[in-house]
Amino acid sequence: MRCDTCRELLNARIDNELPAAEVADVDQHLASCATCTAEYRLFAQTHRTLSEAHLRYTAPDLLKARIRGAIAQERHEAPSVRRTRPWWRFAAAGIVIAAMSSALTFAVTRPSGTPVANDLVASHVRSLQPGHLTDIVSTNQHNVKPWFNGRVDVSPPVMDLAQQGFTLVGGRVDYVGGRTVPVVVYARRQHYINLYAWPVADAAPADPQTSMRNGYNLMSWRSQGIQHWAVSDLNARELAELVKALRTM
Amino acid sequence: MPEHDVERFERIILPHLDDAYTLARYLVRDSHAAQDVVQDAALRALRYFDGYRGGDARAWLLSIVRNVSLTWRQRTAGDAHTVDIADIGVAGGHETDAAAIESSERERIVGAIESLPEEFREIIVLREIEELSYKEISTVVGVPVGTVMSRLARGRKRLAALLGVGVEEAG
Repeated sequence: MRCDTCRELLNARIDNELPAAEVADVDQHLASCATCTAEYRLFAQTHRTLSEAHLRYTAPDLLKARIRGAIAQERHEAPSVRRTRPWWRFAAAGIVIAAMSSALTFAVTRPSGTPVANDLVASHVRSLQPGHLTDIVSTNQHNVKPWFNGRVDVSPPVMDLAQQGFTLVGGRVDYVGGRTVPVVVYARRQHYINLYAWPVADAAPADPQTSMRNGYNLMSWRSQGIQHWAVSDLNARELAELVKALRTM
Repeated sequence: MPEHDVERFERIILPHLDDAYTLARYLVRDSHAAQDVVQDAALRALRYFDGYRGGDARAWLLSIVRNVSLTWRQRTAGDAHTVDIADIGVAGGHETDAAAIESSERERIVGAIESLPEEFREIIVLREIEELSYKEISTVVGVPVGTVMSRLARGRKRLAALLGVGVEEAG
């Protein structure tokens, strides 16, 4: 075997991709050629360095949850529309159906608003575990607000409320009530406040309502086609202060 | 989509989300973007699942992840990256010395792989990290096996130089 032929097969030899006959030829050549052997060692050592270095990543739990949620939604859709008709004819209808079905999901499965409150409290509790609170860390509203662009279908209000005694901590994207929603995080003393927002096409505006669940205070209100929720272990009076500040700015 | 198809999808495809995320991380080099890519790829996979004709489900999903990553790269070419809490977290000093050395070695290798041109990087990741066969890589990337082999050789050579592999023996 010539050197240039051998060189071409060195990586296949390392990766066990060579037929037995060629393995014998390559090995025979390596036994008598120091240059090819040096080359072989370089490739083999690089391969070993990489395979020993734990270079894999684990997909974040939130991502897995989001995907499972999206699949669950897909499961409830009508089976025929998607593949059997020209896409353009149904694109517009699809958008309407998608909008209606997500509205319906909310209307049907969340009649009293309580299950979504459960979701919100669960999300709030999860957010307090290390590393879960924020995807983007910034006390500057001009960094946080544009970060949501393209990640969610609504642009949540992000304001500097330092004057009112609330520190902007950052933002994240979370999965609540069957959809991906933006969350803006503020802090007062050692308490975190999670603010959720999602579009509710033509629902009438609603003034803030206070509720409590598992010891957490929740406030919800609607304005300009957006449903807002605030969740915190902060006391109800101070939480109302934050909501008032948000609504008057 | 019929119920049993969705169940089959969950059983066959979803176990490979870590692999999908790993490939996306190395291709788009940003944790948020990689998450978006994987979510998009998973939904596409579900949509095209009736086009999946058996064979290696992992390689099939990875080829979708690769396509979505390429589209993402083209769309966002030149965009600045946002600050990532995962990157900030790296600075925290809770590790033992051994763990710190290991993780800095890992970072050095990750950095070297990320610095490779895309055509070598994807082959390196698919072989060295995802451990696909040449045949599978050829299918995922859409090039002949011979091209896989030559790109792999060049990719490994570049990495050897970047990482100083083989320097001790030679010197």
